[in-house]
Order: sequence, then C-alpha cells, then structure tokens
Amino acid sequence: MTNDLHVTFRVGTASYAVPAAQVLHLESFENATLVPGAPAYVAGLVQVRGRVVPVVDLRVRFGLPPVERTIDNRVLVVQVGTRVAGLLVDSAREVLRIDETSFEKPPEMIERQSAGFVTAVATVTKRLFLLVDVPRLIGEELAHG
Amino acid sequence: MSERVDLQEFVGAFVAEAEELAAAANLSLLEIEVANTEGTTRPRIVRDLFRALHTIKGLAGMMGVEPIVEIAHALETLIRSADRAGGLLSPKAVEIALQGIGEISERVQAVAERRQVAGIPVQLIATIASIDAEPAATRLIKKIPSGWEGRLTVGELQQLDHAHDTAIPVWAVTFMPSASNVTRGITIASVRRDLAAIGELVRVFPRALAGPGDATGVAFDMLLISKASRDVIAATAATELVDIVAVVAHSAAAVAEIAASGAPDAPGAPDRDDHVTAIGRAVVRVDLSRLDELQEQLSLLIVSRFRLEHEIAAIAKLGHDVRRLREIAQLQGRQLRDLRRAILRARMVRVADVLEPLNLLVRGLARSTRRPVQLVLEAGDTELDKAVADRLLPALIHLVRNAVDHAIEAPEERAAAGKPTTGTVRVSCVAVAANHIELVVRDDGQGIDRDAIARRAKRPIASDAELLEVLTRPGFSTREVATTTSGRGLGMDIVQRVAVAELGGELALQTTLGAGTAFTLRVPITIAVMDVFSFQCGAQCFVVPASLVEEIFEVSAETVSVGPSPPRPGAGASTNSAVSLFEHRGQAIPLLSLGALLEIDSGARARKALVIRRNGQPMAFSVDRMIGRQEVVVRSIDDPLVTVPGITGTTDLGDGRPTLMLDLNELASVYRDRVAS
Repeated sequence: MTNDLHVTFRVGTASYAVPAAQVLHLESFENATLVPGAPAYVAGLVQVRGRVVPVVDLRVRFGLPPVERTIDNRVLVVQVGTRVAGLLVDSAREVLRIDETSFEKPPEMIERQSAGFVTAVATVTKRLFLLVDVPRLIGEELAHG
Repeated sequence: MSERVDLQEFVGAFVAEAEELAAAANLSLLEIEVANTEGTTRPRIVRDLFRALHTIKGLAGMMGVEPIVEIAHALETLIRSADRAGGLLSPKAVEIALQGIGEISERVQAVAERRQVAGIPVQLIATIASIDAEPAATRLIKKIPSGWEGRLTVGELQQLDHAHDTAIPVWAVTFMPSASNVTRGITIASVRRDLAAIGELVRVFPRALAGPGDATGVAFDMLLISKASRDVIAATAATELVDIVAVVAHSAAAVAEIAASGAPDAPGAPDRDDHVTAIGRAVVRVDLSRLDELQEQLSLLIVSRFRLEHEIAAIAKLGHDVRRLREIAQLQGRQLRDLRRAILRARMVRVADVLEPLNLLVRGLARSTRRPVQLVLEAGDTELDKAVADRLLPALIHLVRNAVDHAIEAPEERAAAGKPTTGTVRVSCVAVAANHIELVVRDDGQGIDRDAIARRAKRPIASDAELLEVLTRPGFSTREVATTTSGRGLGMDIVQRVAVAELGGELALQTTLGAGTAFTLRVPITIAVMDVFSFQCGAQCFVVPASLVEEIFEVSAETVSVGPSPPRPGAGASTNSAVSLFEHRGQAIPLLSLGALLEIDSGARARKALVIRRNGQPMAFSVDRMIGRQEVVVRSIDDPLVTVPGITGTTDLGDGRPTLMLDLNELASVYRDRVAS
C-alpha cells in the first residue's frame, strides 16, 4: 500500500516524483567536496550519517543553467541496489500519494528530449509530476562499464 | 524458506573452514609426495589428511553440497586404505587426490560466491575408486606389543615394524601431569611437542588413574620411536617420571611388559588423541567481516576524537583554559592507539600461511612447463593484516608465475650455464620499519634482457627503475607467444597497481642478466589507518600518504623556471603551464602545479612543494598550504560516479566533510598522457 508514496521535488520550473521506496532520507545541502575528473553533473562527495555519498546535481544533469544555491536546496539520498547516491534538487517538500494508475507514458517528444530520464507523467489535483528514472540519473550505465 | 535462511548464515563459516581444511589437505599431500621420493612414509600425515577429508565431508553434508560429499567420500576411502597400508600412498594416488581436493576447492569457492556448484565429477570418482582397488603393498605385522593390541592401527603397527627393521628403539613413556609440572610449564602438550622433536611419536593414549580417596588423575601412555638415549627421553618427558623403559622392538614382549600396566581405559575416554590435541592455545575463529565491523566502529571513534580536538581548539581560541580538557583528549588518544593496536593484532595472519598456496602453484607450473623448480619460502614469524594479505596474494602469484614461466631456463640451458638444473624461486619476507614488510620474490633464472625490452619498447632503458616502468605499462609483454601459464601480458601492471595504488607501498626491481631477478614489494602491514600529510590546494583540502612523500619544501620564485610552452592545437592551456622546473640541491626537479593538474587552480601562488619519487626519479607537486601530518582512516571510493584516476579514497579530517586522498604517482601519469596525446 505504501507503493504509491512518492517524494516530490522541484528542479527548474518542473515538479518531479520518485518512488518513496527508493529514497533513504532527505538532507539539507551545504557544500560538497569536489571530485576533480568526475563527470560535470557530479556535484561532489558529501558525508551523510557516516557514509560518503556522491551527489548528482540534477540542474546540470537536466541541462539547466546554474543558479545561486539557496537554503531550499535538498539532497535526496537514494538507494539503487547496493549503491547509495544523492540527488541535488532545488527544493523538496512533499511526500505525495500518487496512484500507479495515474501515471501515463510521457508524450514521445518529451521522452526523447529528456534523454530517458522521465519515464512517466502524472497529474495530481491539476499539478503535473514527472516520474524520473533514478538508476539512470545516477549513471547506472557507468556501473556496468 | 526459513531453512534456507538458516543455511545462509553458515555459509561464511563453512567456506572458511572448508578452505582451511582443503589447504591443509593439499599440504599433507605435498608432504606425502616428498616422503614418497625419499622412500619413507608419513602415517601421521596420512591420518591428518583422512581427518581433514572426513571433516570436509561432514560439513558439506550439513550444507547439502552433495558433489563435495561424494568427492570427499571417495578420497576418504582412498586415504583409509593408505592408512591401513602404513601410510603408503602411491604417487599416482597423490596425484589424483590433489585433483580431487582441487575439485572440492572449486566447489567451495562456488558456494562462497553463491554460484551454481558444479556437479559430481563422475570420471574422477571412478578413477579414485580404481586406484583404491589396486592391491596395497601391505606388509604383515607380526609384533603387536601386548597391552597395545586393538589400540594401535595397522599403520601404527607398521611404524613399529619399520622401526624394528631399521633397528631404532621403541620406547614406552608414561607422562603424569602434576601441579609441579604445570608450574614449570610442562604439560602433555609440551611433552608431546618435545618428544616429537626427538623421535617419532607413534601414539598418545590417555588413561584415567584412580588416586587416593576420590581423587582421579590422568596419565598418558605414549609409544615413541627414537634413537635418543634413555636419559634424554626421560628429561624430555619430565624427569620425575620413572615409567620410561627402553625397548628394542625385537622383543615385543618387553613393550608389553612395560607399557600399559593393565589400568583399564577410562570409560568414554576419547578415541585416539583428539582431546590431547585440544590442549594448547585457545583459538577462536572469527569471520573477517566482524573484525571489519569492529574497525569501522573504531574509525568512527577516531573521527569523533578529531571533532573533539577541533572543539577544544575553538574553545581555547575564546581564551578559556583548556589544559584539563587537552590532557583528557591526549589520554583518550593514547587509549585509542592501544585499542587500534589490539584490533590490528586480531586481524594479523602469519605471512607463512599466506604464502602457502604458492607451493601448489609452483608445483603445478613446474609440471606444465616441464622445468624442475623448487620454491623456498622464508617468512619467519612475520605477520600482516588479513586485508593486506588478501590483496597481496594475487600480486605474489603473478610474480612467482612469471619467474617460473619466463625466468627459469630449461634444465639443459641451466646445465650449460653452470647452474644447478633445478631452478629456485625464493619468496622471503622481513619486517622493515615498524609498519612495513618487505617481500622479495627472487629467481635464479636468466634475468631480464634490458636491451631486448628497450628494442620492443622503442626507447632506451638505462636502469632497473626505468626497466620496471616499461614492464609495468598496462599490456606490456616480453613474450610474443602467449603461454597458458602467464597468458598474454606479464601482468606486471597488476602487481604495480596492487603494491602502489591499493596498498600505498612500493615496487622495485633488480635484475642481472644470466643470474636472476628480484622483485621487492614493500607494503604496510595494515591499510585501514594511514599516516598522511594534509594540505590545501584551491579551496579544498587533500591528503596524501606520508610514506610516499620524501620531502616538503618552500617554493620561491627565484628557484622555479617555467620553460617554454608554446600553444599546441587541441591541448588545453592548463596542461601546458602545469609543469615547471625547480632547483633543489643542485638537481633539476620537475614541479607540477597540483591546482592546474586538478583544474581547481585558485590563482594563489603556491608556497609548498611535496617531493615524491616516481620510478626512482624525484618529482614535486606544488600546493597552496600545508596543514599537517596525522593518522586518518581511509575509506575506499567505490561508486562509479566518482571513480577517477589519481583519487584513491576519502577521509574525514574532523570537519565532517570528505577529504580526498590523492595518488600523486597516478596524477603524474594522467598528466603525462594528457600532454602526450
């Protein structure tokens, strides 16, 4: 029954959702240790509850221009298999119940333009949420060579 | 469901135990092989082997790994008949038994990795059975010392028989433990050990003694084959005892006379001497992951101690008196160090045990290359962290394999060169400094032909250090022909990676054409806690292993020369200006700007330079500011997002943020490649 719980967040002008089951916790974001040589969308390393975790800057990942960081910035700590990574987002507040059936395949043009990061679209009380592919966001393809 | 979960819990213990037993079985077989070549037998070793196989069978049965049960059972049958034949195991049987153990190990590995376990090797089991059916060369035993009938196995009786044939006396010795003995450190364990050192201890048999009143004691009857004099044996088994009588095996009756004085065996007394072997050091087997857990907890403690120091410094800055706090913090620091040492000791394994598998390796290689090679292991009592040992072994296997496959010449060639036809590979290990060991893999083969390598590498090679650099290039091979043993490449890049990048150690090479080659690996005995230099570069802090840094000095504008770096098409601007020359003690040293290398240059003028030695040559890296030297806990970086050449791990300097640990050697390589492309 908890399967339809989603953590929602904003990056740029859009709202996104990830299944709550993939999110370990939310953290505020102050600063990350830069890792020279890592992909540009890697904001760096942060230490979360004794664990060193790489953070993916979703603004960069989504091809948006950089903006001044604010106190609303959040890191969604997500787990994919044995990997734990952070997603740096503009803001994240709500945990919403979004029924599975309300997700629809995104329009083809959106799907293409988003490079596969968006897998579905849902409308909840007239608000639009884009469901993102977390393994893809954290570069699951890197893990398999 | 629940049953499967329960079994999963035992997998670790099963794998550890089975691996250990298989390794012990292999060793026993090798020893039997040596005995075979000497024309002697080792009944005790055969019995050890039997026990190992029997235990493996039991464990595998418990885990439900049927193929292992079947193989172990077949081998057990084979070994049992060898035991009956007085420890006689034909070379062919040894061969097939080694194969069988190999099959067992492979399946244990599959269990460990949760892979599908290969089925029952029917062919192998049939072969084992056919050997077992061959008539064993059993001799008839006629002289059974009375009192020992039924207490000795056929194998043990054959030992007595053999002693008789070679006119070595058999002694009946009875040892009675007493309080006064214990205070002198004499126990049955020590007596057994000492007697075994002066002769062949056939059997130890515990026997209950009725004492005055209700008191009961225990005595140990022993049969010893030894050329030592009566006095020596008496002294060895503690002089108080008078139950020692020399017996020449001819007169079996004499054995009977003096041996067991008719005292009945204690009810339920253990068969054989199993309970005697239990006396000795208490050993607990612990899964390595539990020690890791302990160490992880310690790491957290060390990190919080850094935090504490930070806070104390902050309070001191406000003008408060922090002397008492500092004292306590210092005391705690010492306690943490002691704790760390204690945990480290628990993780230590004997290097001799780590090197053991090399025996099997060389044996197999000698066979496949058809070159007589002997392996000499000299590890003494040195110890190292299990985690280091696990990383080190693949590197050592590479080196030993290369030595046999590429260095040791064919026997005719060796004879022509005036060398013994049997090649020698020597692996020795000594402790150097407090926290390092040095492992040397030395062969007496043909040496490495520097000129030939230079031709292949298309560059001149002036020293062993340069030679090593060429050899450790990924994919470099001295052999055009791929052989089954070493494959296509020499794998030296792997050895280098293990020694330098994974363990923060050093690799060195020394070779003499025609005389042999020695590779020296100098590695820390543990890798969890590292001594590092911390420094600032750009806006960030970094650390490097202190062991790699030869020197730190001031950089002043007068001593640095930035050479010409005309713009080149396609090359980034920063790569061109990243390197300059630096005069130090009359030597020109390349000085790399770390900020430029990492592309985090703050524009601030670098003030310090760290000097490292790369392939024997000094090389300096400029940094903005040194912070200090400290012991830190290093975590490896394993997420693919941040797996970047030159960055080997992270640590926490007390600010709660990850600090990157750099591999300056690798950064230099990255830079060189960037410039070269």
